[in-house]
Amino acid sequence: MIRFENVSKYFPTRFGPKYVFKNLNVEIPSDRDVAILGVNGAGKSTLVRLLGGTDFPSLGRIVTDRFISWPLGLGAGFQASMSGRENVRFVCRIHGIRNTRDYEDFVLEFSEIGRSFELPVGSYSSGMRAKFGFAVSMAFDFDTYLIDEIMAVGDQAFKKKCSATLTEKRETANIVLVSHDEKIVREHCNAAILLAYGGAEYYESVDRALFRYRNL
Amino acid sequence: MKARTALSIQRDVIFAIFLREMNARFSRYTFGNVWIILEPLVMIGMFMLLFGLRGRGEFGFVEPPVFVYTAFLPFRLLWNSTMRSNLRAAGAVRGLMGFRQVKLFDVYLARSVVEGGVFLVSMTVVGGLLWWWGFDVLPNDFLLVLSYCILFWLFAISFGILASVVSRFSPEITKLINLMTMPLLFLSAVFFPMTFVPKEFHSIMAKNPILHAMELIREAWFVQYTSPVADVGYLGAWVLGLMTLAISGYRLSWQRMSQR
Repeated sequence: MIRFENVSKYFPTRFGPKYVFKNLNVEIPSDRDVAILGVNGAGKSTLVRLLGGTDFPSLGRIVTDRFISWPLGLGAGFQASMSGRENVRFVCRIHGIRNTRDYEDFVLEFSEIGRSFELPVGSYSSGMRAKFGFAVSMAFDFDTYLIDEIMAVGDQAFKKKCSATLTEKRETANIVLVSHDEKIVREHCNAAILLAYGGAEYYESVDRALFRYRNL
Repeated sequence: MKARTALSIQRDVIFAIFLREMNARFSRYTFGNVWIILEPLVMIGMFMLLFGLRGRGEFGFVEPPVFVYTAFLPFRLLWNSTMRSNLRAAGAVRGLMGFRQVKLFDVYLARSVVEGGVFLVSMTVVGGLLWWWGFDVLPNDFLLVLSYCILFWLFAISFGILASVVSRFSPEITKLINLMTMPLLFLSAVFFPMTFVPKEFHSIMAKNPILHAMELIREAWFVQYTSPVADVGYLGAWVLGLMTLAISGYRLSWQRMSQR
């Protein structure tokens, strides 16, 4: 369970504070795979970053007892100057894993980037970076995976592989997914949070959420 | 995943950043590891050219190369590199902030440890080379030198963190510090002992805490040298003050600083 308690988030701008959420109270149950829906700028990515602990609420708090992955997005935290392998080692080490060999092999195999694994991540194309980032997070066993728009890139074969792996992971974990793609949302989610008008609405039914989203 | 204590998470993170920093430092330049040894040697060579050959004994109490060795390396590595490395920490590791474990403070700590280690290594290697060439490089009071070096290191770390916190809100501070570097080299008695400076300038120059560090290290290193100004209490007060400011400044703004 992940609970938002009176969470407000604003960014200081030239025109004063710009609120993304005000007094948000939402609960994400552990057995639900949640899609985050909303128009551009509604705060989807901010919500995911708050969940991932890389950004912090201006007010209120987020309560959880689950191991949540880092926000898995296109700009996800990899050091561009380090090679893929070094990045994997780094991520392993900060998660307290000293024996990194198995993880390196897994990512090398899963990401299908071949010898680029030894090259700096900065030299990867956006598709390769998405594959690499996805592979790294799939190497770890989290309770909740945060996925921010990463499935839109990558070729067809990789998309299929992503879907299969996610379906497998969903048996033991749940996901929080940001996507504009209704097909992906329908395939992987069984609940949704719609961000609109500075608030959040929780829907148990994806269809109703999508219907509401379309008619915003 | 299994739960770890906050302390063990921090230890893992610092270890990971430490390895990453070592890797980055020694793979960027082709001569990365040679350069930290070469630079002080070049400085010593230049100094010897400027002041005549070895054995002339300009300082009376020490041979010029050893004098440069005991002053330039601490100034260059302990002060300049450590301070700058902390100042640049926030910008350099932007990519790593996408993980909740990684906090900016861990980066400061890891970078400071790297710089301290580089200092110890290059101090030993350059000292060994000088010793091999027949200079008397052994410090008079090794433990005292080491503790002054640690105090100086803490000074640089605190200054660097404080500057890094301030630079988040006004980036101009970086330019100011860049401007400061050259004058500081001369104002901090790096290339001359304070006994060479006329008495009337002593009290004004002794406002500079870095000068105290240089003089203290010198005093502990050479048995014949007694500094007219060195005061460990003054340097200690600066370290304490800066560290308080740095840590409380970080505490107040770490959330905003780690935002991308």
